[in-house]
Amino acid sequence: MNERILTTLRALRQSALEKGADATFLIHEENSYLMRFANSAISLNTNEHLVRLEITAYDGKKRASYGMITDLNQLNAMREGLDTAIAMVAHAMPLDYQPTVPVYTETFIDESGYDLALAQLSNAEKLAYFNAAVAHLETDDIRLSGIFSCGANIMAMIGTRSEHLQYFASTDAQVSIVLAHATLKWEVTAEQSAWRKEDLNPAALHRDLALLLDHYHHDTPQQIPLGAYDVVFGPAAIAEMVSFMGWIGFNGGLMKRGFSFLSEEQIGQKIFSDQITLQDDPGRLETYPFKRDFLGLPRRSFSLFEKGIFQAFTWYQDDADEFGAPASGHTVPHTSLSLAGGRQEVATLAELLALPREKDLLYIPFLHYMNIVNPSKALVTGTSRFGALLLKADGSVVVPYNVRLTQSLLEIFGEKVAWASRQTLPYNTSQSYGARNPTAVVVPAFLLVRDLEISHSNSSY
Amino acid sequence: MLQQIQQQIKRLKARGATYVDTRWYPYEKTDALTMWNGNLKNAASASESGAGIRVLYKGAWGFSAASDLADLAGLYDQAFDNAAAAAERVSFPVRLAEKDALQAQFASPCQVNPFDVPLAEKVAFLKEMDARLNQEGVFQRISDATFVRKQIIFVDSEGSEIEKTITEVFFTLQVAGLDEQGEMHERKFRLGRRGESRGWESIDREYLSEQAERIVREMNQVRTAPQCPKEERSVILLPGIMYLQTHETIGHALELDRILGYELAYAGGSFVTLEDFGRLRYGSPRLTARADATLPNSPGSFGYDDDGVPAQDNLLIDKGLLVGAITGRQMVEEANSKARRAIFKGSGGANRATAFYRVPIERMTNINIDAGQDGSLDDIIRNTEKGLMVDGDRSWSIGSNREQFHFGTEIGWLVDEGRVTGVVKNSTYKGDTLKFWNSLSAVGDSSTWEVRFIENCGKGQPNQIMQLGHGVPVCRFDHVTIGE
Ligand SMILES: [Zn+2]
Repeated sequence: MNERILTTLRALRQSALEKGADATFLIHEENSYLMRFANSAISLNTNEHLVRLEITAYDGKKRASYGMITDLNQLNAMREGLDTAIAMVAHAMPLDYQPTVPVYTETFIDESGYDLALAQLSNAEKLAYFNAAVAHLETDDIRLSGIFSCGANIMAMIGTRSEHLQYFASTDAQVSIVLAHATLKWEVTAEQSAWRKEDLNPAALHRDLALLLDHYHHDTPQQIPLGAYDVVFGPAAIAEMVSFMGWIGFNGGLMKRGFSFLSEEQIGQKIFSDQITLQDDPGRLETYPFKRDFLGLPRRSFSLFEKGIFQAFTWYQDDADEFGAPASGHTVPHTSLSLAGGRQEVATLAELLALPREKDLLYIPFLHYMNIVNPSKALVTGTSRFGALLLKADGSVVVPYNVRLTQSLLEIFGEKVAWASRQTLPYNTSQSYGARNPTAVVVPAFLLVRDLEISHSNSSY
Repeated sequence: MLQQIQQQIKRLKARGATYVDTRWYPYEKTDALTMWNGNLKNAASASESGAGIRVLYKGAWGFSAASDLADLAGLYDQAFDNAAAAAERVSFPVRLAEKDALQAQFASPCQVNPFDVPLAEKVAFLKEMDARLNQEGVFQRISDATFVRKQIIFVDSEGSEIEKTITEVFFTLQVAGLDEQGEMHERKFRLGRRGESRGWESIDREYLSEQAERIVREMNQVRTAPQCPKEERSVILLPGIMYLQTHETIGHALELDRILGYELAYAGGSFVTLEDFGRLRYGSPRLTARADATLPNSPGSFGYDDDGVPAQDNLLIDKGLLVGAITGRQMVEEANSKARRAIFKGSGGANRATAFYRVPIERMTNINIDAGQDGSLDDIIRNTEKGLMVDGDRSWSIGSNREQFHFGTEIGWLVDEGRVTGVVKNSTYKGDTLKFWNSLSAVGDSSTWEVRFIENCGKGQPNQIMQLGHGVPVCRFDHVTIGE
């Protein structure tokens, strides 16, 4: 535990009390490391050590915040930041609702997702992982790209209304490896997400990459005809679509603002296939969970869809305050989404290829640049990338050029779902914008959806 | 501090580094205010300072950054060690294109420092805008302002020392409303270039009030409009979507690091190859595009890039022919070497980092389309037989090599036999990049040309957001699939 963070928070709280201010303080310390590969070389090797302080001042219905990137030696500058926040709140405009100010009723320290071995992973170990994952797979034409991103994250908070603190420490790793042909431009990928060093497994990535390369290296890519396909989505595509549901689906605040395909009347109604059970499950360490939210509420497994039936919206506290909704423990930087596994025994790409099939299956591992065309209809669009395969009914495999899918999530997760893998895995969805916020979604390894329309089919890469 | 930086750079050079630079940010300040349905949801100020160190050793980059500069030597050593580790796997040793050592200063044009304007005045302004938006049919209304001021001091081992002070103002108005079926429709206005400077003075209340009225009016038209048909038509892109079409299918496609495969792990590649320069017909002869970092008063103009190279105005596409790319020092050397010809005559001055704690990469400057000879917007409409005129970005999705795209727009107007015949909702269009630009059949004159700003273009790992601009005219493209 970083005692200096706790003493700094206590000192800041004391300053606020002396000034008669109502304030909360959040310190975020990140140690981020990223080894990036391109053209079979390490194109960048970087690390950043950053300490952020976020001060929120309250005055009745008024609220203002001041953030700084600083360091723990700068207590005076932090106190000046507090003065700024206090001055700002005086000039802020009252909200038309009462914002809830956090009151931590007990000190809560959670380091269960922190793995010292991962925090101390060396440059040499990261390079060795990559070398093992792509051993004998690179050629003059087939070049390695990818990242080994890992880090340690601490978020700790205190408020003037109680002496208790919350402290969360976690470690995380996100590995993605891309092998791309220098002139033909096809690309295949394998990825891994881990919260502890012992989960790192380069052999699994090597296995998938070798299998994909076998097809991409020997088969001639084809422009596949437009029309309806039975589509098998891989973990990246599933996780991306599930994450979008957290945005235009069950987020209560966005629903109230009209930016959702779900409505309050739909609670208790069947929205998706009965094979779709989705939870926010902070018990899954693979999701870098927060077991308390930033208001101090304990976070437990929270049901979103149970066998396709919509259970509840999640509420960020500020939205709950504005719309008079009950707090749901979702005032966190990220939730811990977990889509339940299904009945199909298929955990690996090799097993998927070996699965008996009556019809052609289009395997889409990854959806690139997904965006929302119409939130009210859950209509999204994106393009396949990284090793799509057309698994022909006759047992052969065709390499397709990328295709575009413009479809509603209501269709994709609706009655067209044929099966989901029994086996699940965490897929790392971390965005490395701004402050480190490791995120992962637990998803079935594969999801088969029947009869989805392909609206655009590329004639090259 | 400057002296200590110079000392550390010298020390690493003595340790064997071939190149070292430092970007020291004495300060970067941000004020962000959001008013949503009359509530001041966000009143946030932020400040940061720190330094980022880039070291080239045995052909490989190492980078290290920290806000805590107490142990400066340790920070430089960490960057050096990172480079030494990266040198274990080098395929094309990094070389940097020649440049002059410069002692220089740059300040973006600003008359009134937005940080001298009291918070109360900024809040009052947002309240005024919010009131303008609060009209019949409007379900959600947002006024959002971001002010940035930063000082960057760049020092490198080649003798450059450059000081920059950049001030930015970004302002957005947005409304959303529901149609009879309960579907949401939105309309936005983003402040682009107005006049010659972009301090607080760019907040022109009268102009912004007019824009507020316009987006409310247009959003209400969309709410009651019929669905966009699914068919083939010409599309007329107004600057409010033309800027993004240019951004996504010219700008990103012509970043040289993408072309060379440096973004394959994330953002993607490009359909463009090194052989294409000087040969590929990217668009119709009406298309001339440039990367112009000398355009006054735009976030895409910054004086000197983060390699210390002066801002330039470079042609990218000359009357339809691909001639240039968005480049920095490292990539032009590698591209010329791999192509075995001198495609690029030195760095294009477009290597930029979003913060002290990120490494510079090739970023768009102002990626502009030259105004054309096809008259005003009215002229273009008059000469269009069967078209869809669109404005406002609602969704955008582009293939990983930028080879195809799908855009959803906020508003569409059907154009039949030279006349606007009505508004449609859920207007979308899609296409293949090269086919699309080669179908460019009309380019508006300077009366249609506007500079739009982008506040948050994402690229790279770790991810960086960047601010830039696009000067674009109204353009028409033929035989485009719409409504999907
Ligand atoms: Zn962009």
